[in-house]
Amino acid sequence: MSTTLQNLVNQPYKHGFVTEIESDVAPKGLSEDTIRLISGKKNEPEWLLQLRLDAYRHWLTMEEPQWPNVKYPKIDFQAISYYSAPKPKKTLNSMDEVDPELLRTFEKLGVPMNERAKLAGVAVDVIFDSVSVATTYKAKLAEVGIIFCSISEAVRDHPELVRKYLGSVVPVGDNYYAALNSAVFTDGSFCFIPKGVKCPMDLSTYFRINTENSGQFERTLIVAEEGASVSYLEGCTAPKFDTNQLHAAVVELIALDNADIKYSTVQNWYAGDANGLGGIYNFVTKRGLCKGVNSRISWTQVETGSAITWKYPSCVLRGDNSVGEFYSVALTNHHQQADTGTKMIHLGKNTRSTIVSKGISAGHSNNSYRGLVRIAPTAAGARNYSQCDSMLIGEQCGANTFPYIQVNNPSAKVEHEASTSKIGEDQLFYFAQRGIGAEEAVSMIINGFCKDVFQQLPMEFAVEATKLLGLKLEGSVG
Amino acid sequence: MNTVSTSPYLAGLLQGQPPASPLTWLNELRANAVDRVGALTVPTTRDEDWRFTDISPLTKLSFQPAQGAAQLAPAAIEQWAIPEAAARLVFVDGIYAPGHSFNRAGLTVENLASGVSRHGAAVQAHLGRYADFERNVFTAVNTAFLHDGALILVPRDTALAAPVHLLFIATRKHAASYPRCLIVAESGSAVTVVEDYVALQSEAYFTSAVTELALTGNAEVHHVRVQREGAEAFHFANCAVSLAQASRYHSVSIALGGRISRHNLAALLAAEGAECRLDGLALIGGQQLADSHTLIDHASPRGSSRQLHKCIVDGAARAVFNGNIMVRPGAQRTDSSQSSRNLLLSARARVDTKPQLEIFADDVKCAHGATVGQLDVDEVFYLKSRGLSDTAARNLLTYAFGAEVIERIPVASLRNRLEQTVMERTHAAAPGAEGKP
Repeated sequence: MSTTLQNLVNQPYKHGFVTEIESDVAPKGLSEDTIRLISGKKNEPEWLLQLRLDAYRHWLTMEEPQWPNVKYPKIDFQAISYYSAPKPKKTLNSMDEVDPELLRTFEKLGVPMNERAKLAGVAVDVIFDSVSVATTYKAKLAEVGIIFCSISEAVRDHPELVRKYLGSVVPVGDNYYAALNSAVFTDGSFCFIPKGVKCPMDLSTYFRINTENSGQFERTLIVAEEGASVSYLEGCTAPKFDTNQLHAAVVELIALDNADIKYSTVQNWYAGDANGLGGIYNFVTKRGLCKGVNSRISWTQVETGSAITWKYPSCVLRGDNSVGEFYSVALTNHHQQADTGTKMIHLGKNTRSTIVSKGISAGHSNNSYRGLVRIAPTAAGARNYSQCDSMLIGEQCGANTFPYIQVNNPSAKVEHEASTSKIGEDQLFYFAQRGIGAEEAVSMIINGFCKDVFQQLPMEFAVEATKLLGLKLEGSVG
Repeated sequence: MNTVSTSPYLAGLLQGQPPASPLTWLNELRANAVDRVGALTVPTTRDEDWRFTDISPLTKLSFQPAQGAAQLAPAAIEQWAIPEAAARLVFVDGIYAPGHSFNRAGLTVENLASGVSRHGAAVQAHLGRYADFERNVFTAVNTAFLHDGALILVPRDTALAAPVHLLFIATRKHAASYPRCLIVAESGSAVTVVEDYVALQSEAYFTSAVTELALTGNAEVHHVRVQREGAEAFHFANCAVSLAQASRYHSVSIALGGRISRHNLAALLAAEGAECRLDGLALIGGQQLADSHTLIDHASPRGSSRQLHKCIVDGAARAVFNGNIMVRPGAQRTDSSQSSRNLLLSARARVDTKPQLEIFADDVKCAHGATVGQLDVDEVFYLKSRGLSDTAARNLLTYAFGAEVIERIPVASLRNRLEQTVMERTHAAAPGAEGKP
């Protein structure tokens, strides 16, 4: 059976093409000059340059974390180019002005911006390497007072908001990669939902790493004021390169009283080839702060790509009665490594959190769930439920679970469950009996396994995620 | 043995080592351990393995091994006697007390210092083979002081129904003791061992114990460990178990005493079809800290393991549990389950639990679960509806929570005694305890 499954999970990466666009690339290397160059190119105010320099100086004093359950050669931070922007850079007023080559790239990725904008009603803020090239539906959003733009534009047009919230959830010295990101971040999305506004459509960005040897350091900041609500979608792909690329992003979410933020990710960066050569190092810091009472932050992620994934979307539940949620599917194949999970920090009274994590490992991959549930002495009546299930396909892979549970309040109730299973011969036999081939059967079993998470995704993403897992597991049946 | 440790504290601990043994291999083992201590440092909370257990209070005090045995009246130890025991070895501050010991078991139950010369080959084949001191500083210190402790050799196809009682009594302030136990169960044998740590005083002292168990094919060992050290004691114990084909190991570990206690238990399922069952209970209050780290290492196919670890935490005490289940490549058909249940009785009590699965084989059944909370309000209500007072209902439920583990002790007199202790403790803790709604 294992050969069949092995074949099923081996299928080529479909987004591995390089777009031939002339890029404006900064010379390799990291120094205060690089940071001044990035800041200068983007005409940033003095305070932001200062923030970057503070982060850089702090980063120099820090050590690369060794605790994750992943292995990789030491990263040479001087061999990375920290700025890369597509060259033809004039102000764009409509989609027609976007470089056709660029549009074709997204076409291949299946993000027809024009169509999507019209049919799906999704506003897409497209990040191509480091610079946001087009933002759709901006005007429509502006009508209700929502600001949705690239972070560079936000720095220019809404400096007071950016200054107030940037770094307030993930401080510049938070961890090694967050500090690096704070020093050199080039672009990302900014979203501000004012008081009482329910965002009329799902917001979306599409990240893509194009230039070889350029790290992508995007920065996302989402603020939902009192009573506001927003659903935000993020999708990622990267072309094939033999060298490893570093992706160190920071995402900060802030929910004030009664606000609601839903953040969904489908991550399909290039995972390296079957021998583990190449692929993205995805070292990301994502954190949401439920600052106000009754606020809610929900993370949903489908992680199928990257050579190494190292991320823990977290919720700091400070407001009383606030709610944190984490739904995750992580699929690893070949030599991929994933060390991912969440942190739920309960500070306020009657705060609640739910964790549902599904890990699937195949090939020679290694998939770890690492999660923290911390109940502070102040979090009376806090409640957590965690469920982590792993599925192993083949004998060479690994599935690990590292839940940290720290409880400091007797009225809290914390529950954690984990299980491990595999696709059994008998299950496949049952499907075969009903006339369903092995390939489809595996796909159905996996989709059933992930159902709890997929149903949290917005419709379009749920379809995409189901397809993506299907694709990853597509292949010849022996 | 002149290596100077990089840590002055460890160098201080190494003072007063026992005289060289006539056995070369034993001296070499000690010398290696001394070297290793030299390379290691006192763990801090920056070490992942010691993240939740701050042992800095230990390093503020200095400890020396006791010189000369303290004389105890037989009546003094009567309170801990196990009537059904077939053999008993008593150690006072780490020093063997032959006057209080007896052996009616009909097999080798003797102190290690004399047993090592009589059973040289058998001891050499096992001693120091399972308790790795490469990274564990307390095992290294114990090995550096390797001199005396208990030696139990159960011959082939011999089943000893009555338990063997190993009693370690602390009587002196600031004494350090390094008991070392070796239990070898040959194929087809069965034995029950009670390892019991008690105190006749309440000042600070230091125990660093290492126990090694080797189970040959089809052997069965029941291992009961009762840690009821004095209130100011520092207790560090490392236990390493090696299970051969189809052998069965059952451990019940009860932690009641000590200011800071740490118990590392590592079971290696080295051959096919081994079974391992670990049960643990920590019942602590005041400023106590009880840490339990377990590793169940499934290195061969068709192994099974069951684990239940419970903590009842009162006052400002802190319980730590880290349970690692490892399924190595090729250990197919492993069946493992683990459960960590924790009860917090006061507002300042704290639990850090980390049940951990590392799985590298696909045809396995592994599950773990953890819960932390207080008594179920519905259960309390149910008992109150039957006429019990709030306090009585809570006491009963707390007692029942702990009794689930105590019940698994296969020695009736000890089980009854400990049930009594849990009853007294839970009653003492309950009335007007802080943080109660």
